[in-house]
Amino acid sequence: MLHTLIRQELLSLIVSARFLAAVVITLLLAVANTVVLIDAYENRVASYSQQAKVHREKAVAAETYSQLQLFVERPPNPLSLLSTGLEKRLGTTVEIYHGEVPTISSVSARNLENPYLNLFSQIDLVSIFQVVLSLLALLFAYDAIAGDWESGTLRLVISHPVRRGTILFAKYLAAMVCLLLPLLMSLLIVMLQLSLASSIQLGATDFLRIGGIIFTTIVYLSVFYLIGLLISTMTRRTATSLMLCMFLWVVLVLVYPNWSRFTLNPLGDMRAERQSADQQIDQIWEEVDREAQRFLANSPLEGDPPRFNIGYSGSSTSSSRRYGFNMTKVRANSEPSLPHFQNYQAFICATHIRAAEKVGLINEQRWARTTIRQATWDERLMKFSPASLYTFATSAWAGTDLNGMLDFIGVVQAYRQTLIDYLHDKDAFASRRWFASDQGAVDWWDLPQFRFTRADVSENAQRALTDVSLLFVMNLGLFMVSFLIFIRVEV
Amino acid sequence: MIRHIIQREFFDHLNSLRFALTVIIMAALMVTNAVVHLQSHPDKVRHYSENVAKDRDTLQSRTELYELLRKGPGKLYKQSSALTFIADGGDAFLPNRGTQSWGSWSRTAGFGSQVKSIWSADYPTANPNARDLRPKATKIDWVFIITYLLSFIPLLFTFDALSGERESGTLRLCLANAISRPALLTGKFLGTLIAILIPFYFAVLLNLAVISTDSWTELGAADWGRLGMTLLIASGYTSIFVAIGLMVSAGTRDTRVSLVVLLIIWVALVVFMPSTLGTLSTKWMSPVQTAHQRETAKRSALDQINDDFDKQMMDKAQPQTGGLLSQLMGLAKTSPKEAEKLAKEKQAELMAAMAKAESEKSDEEELRIQAELINKDVEIRERLNREHLRAQLAQVQRARVVTRFSPAAIVQYALESMTGTGLKRHLQFLDSVHLHIRQFRNFITETDRADTESPHIIGIPEGMSKKSISPQALPNFEDKITFSDTFNAAILDMLLLVGLLGVSLLGAFLVFIRSDV
Repeated sequence: MLHTLIRQELLSLIVSARFLAAVVITLLLAVANTVVLIDAYENRVASYSQQAKVHREKAVAAETYSQLQLFVERPPNPLSLLSTGLEKRLGTTVEIYHGEVPTISSVSARNLENPYLNLFSQIDLVSIFQVVLSLLALLFAYDAIAGDWESGTLRLVISHPVRRGTILFAKYLAAMVCLLLPLLMSLLIVMLQLSLASSIQLGATDFLRIGGIIFTTIVYLSVFYLIGLLISTMTRRTATSLMLCMFLWVVLVLVYPNWSRFTLNPLGDMRAERQSADQQIDQIWEEVDREAQRFLANSPLEGDPPRFNIGYSGSSTSSSRRYGFNMTKVRANSEPSLPHFQNYQAFICATHIRAAEKVGLINEQRWARTTIRQATWDERLMKFSPASLYTFATSAWAGTDLNGMLDFIGVVQAYRQTLIDYLHDKDAFASRRWFASDQGAVDWWDLPQFRFTRADVSENAQRALTDVSLLFVMNLGLFMVSFLIFIRVEV
Repeated sequence: MIRHIIQREFFDHLNSLRFALTVIIMAALMVTNAVVHLQSHPDKVRHYSENVAKDRDTLQSRTELYELLRKGPGKLYKQSSALTFIADGGDAFLPNRGTQSWGSWSRTAGFGSQVKSIWSADYPTANPNARDLRPKATKIDWVFIITYLLSFIPLLFTFDALSGERESGTLRLCLANAISRPALLTGKFLGTLIAILIPFYFAVLLNLAVISTDSWTELGAADWGRLGMTLLIASGYTSIFVAIGLMVSAGTRDTRVSLVVLLIIWVALVVFMPSTLGTLSTKWMSPVQTAHQRETAKRSALDQINDDFDKQMMDKAQPQTGGLLSQLMGLAKTSPKEAEKLAKEKQAELMAAMAKAESEKSDEEELRIQAELINKDVEIRERLNREHLRAQLAQVQRARVVTRFSPAAIVQYALESMTGTGLKRHLQFLDSVHLHIRQFRNFITETDRADTESPHIIGIPEGMSKKSISPQALPNFEDKITFSDTFNAAILDMLLLVGLLGVSLLGAFLVFIRSDV
């Protein structure tokens, strides 16, 4: 019986105009957007590799250790085509040096080609499904029961020895199959497009992630179908059911996420928090300065830091607390003070590293307490809408969510530690090559390479789990309620 | 007769569920919009006036003409419109000031003297907040409410206007009476339009009532004019979608088909086209220079003028050193070792020549060469910066032309221009920034010319008037939004909107007249 019911529902849905129209529009939008997205992605890959090359050349060009300017670049994530998340909004370049522990605030976005184009919001594939397919789900559902009721077929069906739950279930299954078809078809074509673009290489784990995104999409669409079904069982007229569905869709998909983000501000003003962190950081650096003074008081070095009356030819660069020297030739009369200068450099670098770690901790806390907390709260509040739940879940799968970005920061921090270890191994801070290249320039052949690999699939799955399970719970709840209403309804 | 139809249509809608839902959603959104505006606007106004005051103070603390030239006219802040609640215009992406700190440099010139760069206009990059971690969302301003809801709701009101009557048979009944088809259509069109606009205007009134309690938002006569135009644009936009709804409804037999077709038109026109077409069109545009390319271009141009400068300075020093210096320089390029040897041999001679040159330095001609370098440097930097900015903005403008296929985009641009936010306004702002910079430089030249003691060499401290300037004499940068500017910027979009309305109305009539009942 269930079989017959499903087949009949399926046939009536597939031949309907709404199904055809939905398939056409989903395919059209997906294909057109993928063309744009692939192009943008290729640009980003090209810019990434070029930047990486420039950074490498810049690093290797340093003749002394202190001159090293090391930048690392976040590689573009191919899954951002499906779900953009924060991928394009945040910067990609971070400078690595011993005197600063990188945080989110150290990421800069200076190699964007034309940031004015951000005025146009970019649309990823997931947002097409989010908007079009959820609308389609409601269009399938609004007359599922109310329509049968109006035309009288409901009475006819129920007069057969078939349970009401079975009817509901058959309708649900048939509609889900019809929703899956445009989804899978467009994804198939998108995959084809992706495989034709040479710059995009998807690994085996990426397909697992895409699988996760598909699964999430199904659960999401099911939520919307069940919302429609619930409304349809509650109302007697298709016109009423339709209006309720449409307005609810507008609220859930269009209005609520934007509304909650701009209206609800549960954390209030966080300026005080930021200021107190700034003060603490200032204190730490003042303490560093005092320590340096104490050290210099017992040292025969004279003159203002950082030059100490050392006569040399060469160049020096400085930016807050950071000095890069390249003494290509040291005058003979300055030679005796050089060991002291070496000592001082070793001391000051060690102090800076220690202070930087303290500052890093404070910064980390400050960011965790302010911006990151704010972002998480925004997300939490937005998650009252299944549409936002879906966006966050998919970006968690793709690794373009907030956690994915924080992963990058973690890797960058670890890389800074490797760099410091490397410099320690070479005894660079206390060496003459820290500031002088008169005895030969530094050879950077074994400078550790930066490599960023995205989090494991299982990690992605874990991050998406809460949102997916919330969607799942919504599904169960909605189905239960519509089932309960439907068995009590008088036909 | 038409009046009768309008009346009937209107009352039909008034009693319907969709009307009630429209009232609720419109009112809720408009009130939210007003409340958010009340919370955020005072900060914006305060920030702006603080920034402007700070800017003016630092400018007026500079009393010497050279200092003014070296440090520039300040940051030149953009005034935010009082009507930002109508159109946000990508506030988060567009810079709020005209210039940013420039990279200063200094280099040696000749023997021991230094030349320092002076201020050159550099533009702050768009998207200043690259560290914003909060989830992406569109601000709920009037533009959001109008473009999304005033297009969606007309479709819900009209999808069954004709197809529903055809299904139920009342259409045939209606036309059997002495009612012409155009009259029927006009009646339905006006009745529906009024039924939709009433909740909208009601919500607008609520919104304005809340906003008028705010002392920070002072609406002048021009602002009320802008508000009126905004409402007119919104009404025009709504009519377009009512007409489209009637057109599709007249062309289909099944209300469900008509609904699906309309929803798909809506999704494509309103949700996807404004952004997709914008980004899609950039695919066929010549790319803007990357940061790296730009840096190389700038470097090579600047190296060129610096080399020229070195050459000129050397030519000047030639008589004193007796050709020794140029010989050394020539040698240094081909074989540095030999140059070093030669320099050691003739050290005494060279030192004597240098000392001689030192004593005769800073004659007027040398100053002029230095000033030329400095001014050329400014010119090159500004030219490249301006070219880059122009290329970026041209891309956006071309992309906007393409997105105008969507009426939602047209309305968005029209409202942005009308309220004084968004790209058009930013362009106008940049124009006034450029004008001000020119005035500022003219002021410096004029003041210098007025001083008879000055050698009139603009660009270096020795060549300029030493008299202190009264702060009042400085040209003041005042950013203003005038009604005629905003109106002119919006006029094209408004005409487009009128054209679209004509086409969609005509379409509705043609389809309805040719359709079978």
